[in-house]
Amino acid sequence: MLRAAVPDQTHVGRRYTASGQRIAPEAAARMAAAIAGPDPVADPDAVPPTFAAVYCLAPTFAQLFTDPEVGIDLAGLIHGEQSFEWPEPVRAGDVVDATTEIVGVDLKRGMTYVRLAMEAVRPADQAVVCRGTALMIVRAAA
Amino acid sequence: MTALSVSSVSVGDAVTPLSRQVSQEQINAYADASGDHNPIHVDADFARSVGLPGTIAHGLLELGILAEAISSWAGGSANLRSLSCRFSKPLLPGDTIICTGSVTAVDEAEGVATLEVGASSDRGDRVLTNGRATVRLSR
Repeated sequence: MLRAAVPDQTHVGRRYTASGQRIAPEAAARMAAAIAGPDPVADPDAVPPTFAAVYCLAPTFAQLFTDPEVGIDLAGLIHGEQSFEWPEPVRAGDVVDATTEIVGVDLKRGMTYVRLAMEAVRPADQAVVCRGTALMIVRAAA
Repeated sequence: MTALSVSSVSVGDAVTPLSRQVSQEQINAYADASGDHNPIHVDADFARSVGLPGTIAHGLLELGILAEAISSWAGGSANLRSLSCRFSKPLLPGDTIICTGSVTAVDEAEGVATLEVGASSDRGDRVLTNGRATVRLSR
């Protein structure tokens, strides 16, 4: 039987691109409400900064997590660290192109540490609206 | 909203702490809003099967609440330039997250303040650690 794929160093450099991600006002408002929970939304006219989860992480991570050659097991996945930088604020109605790249894979204490770098660019003016890094920890299969 | 002015911000200034109890309903709403339906956030039986005490909040929901706390202090989220942290401990449904921050540096030439930020739970767990943020200031 073939052994299932697991992330390793040979996957460094793989890029996942999701072009034409629209910052839909209703989706941004839904996230703002979800963050506010029981409280009123603090800044109803703004796109929450962490809406990057929707326009940058979700569409590119979906490709990474279903890449059969990398073989990330979602059931054992832990989001360990996250950094975001917003060089230019993103606005409702913007359309952006998002990319995630695998920049590191390390095995430590039986767990695989996958380092990712993300970027979202607004092609209309070539502005980088979000840049970030994430550390995903894949626990060893039982 | 307007950014804080460089002259009004000093090292040691504190962000107004933000406390928010996070319910399973809020975690479900965040799963819908973010598209992250990983069962560790929404299915208690599944979460327990992978060794968790039950469902846990999304790290990015916690980071979103921390971003709100900093943005409110900074005069709006457009003034939040960067934010990073480690997701050290899980936040469980029913826990209250308490977000804090304080200014560690002010770059008058660049018009940027750097803050040490983080969050703990009302059970005493430090859920977001190694946190750092930068905000834009007006001159």
